[in-house]
Amino acid sequence: MDLATIEKVVAFIGALIVFAFALVGLKGEWHKNGLDDNVTKVLLGLMAFGCVLVVLACFGVLPKGGGA
Amino acid sequence: MAVSVASHGHAHDDHGGHDDIIYQETRDMRLMGFVLFLVSDVVLFSSYIFAYIYLRNSIQPTWPPIVNGHQLPRLDTAFAAFNSVVLFGSGVTMHYALENWKHANKRGFNLFMWLTIFLGLGFLGGQGYEYAHAQIGGWNGNIFGASFFTLTGMHGIHVFLGVCFLFALWIQTRLGVYTQDKFFGLTAGTLYWHFVDVIWVVLFFLFYLW
Repeated sequence: MDLATIEKVVAFIGALIVFAFALVGLKGEWHKNGLDDNVTKVLLGLMAFGCVLVVLACFGVLPKGGGA
Repeated sequence: MAVSVASHGHAHDDHGGHDDIIYQETRDMRLMGFVLFLVSDVVLFSSYIFAYIYLRNSIQPTWPPIVNGHQLPRLDTAFAAFNSVVLFGSGVTMHYALENWKHANKRGFNLFMWLTIFLGLGFLGGQGYEYAHAQIGGWNGNIFGASFFTLTGMHGIHVFLGVCFLFALWIQTRLGVYTQDKFFGLTAGTLYWHFVDVIWVVLFFLFYLW
């Protein structure tokens, strides 16, 4: 197993964990309505989206044509 | 007005309430100011990001660009994915650090705060490794290198300042600056750290996945 594959496996597992905890955090914030709470919701959601991008990168879906 | 009403003619008991009102009013203003600061930072990053998109789409017919007759390689996506998870993980640990503080769990707060700082430093180390191994020319060699080092460098400075910010907040918690009810600095630190994470989502997509 080469280094790039190891990095992708670790990144994939890490992304799943972070995604799950981000969603749990988002759920906890959901009923709150302060300015800081609403900003946190947006930022946690975008962070979860970042995890999705990492998973897509790990499977070679992005970038098109495969990464380095 | 509420402040003056609360402060008239009452002894010690009302001082707490008076302070609470003052705190709440200034907290709202400070929070708005901090969010506006983050918005101004979004504008700063946006200007560089749109310059990069313009250069990429309008000037270069192929990407990565051709320099001295051969096309530059793509950046290392696998390592970037790994490093991104390190930074996103730090965002989650920071969120839970704040939650632990709100629930008066100082041990949990310390654990998550230090995890956040270490993960932030780990990300910076990864960025340094990336800079040392990226084969896209230097900062002033071509458009790709210039855009990459400028934007990720600016982001890296934000991460470094964020780590310093978090460390200062941790010291403040040790000095008793914050209580379970009054912890605006920790809220601001958490928002800043989430912001830094989200900027990286955009940069990760633009430089490694697009």
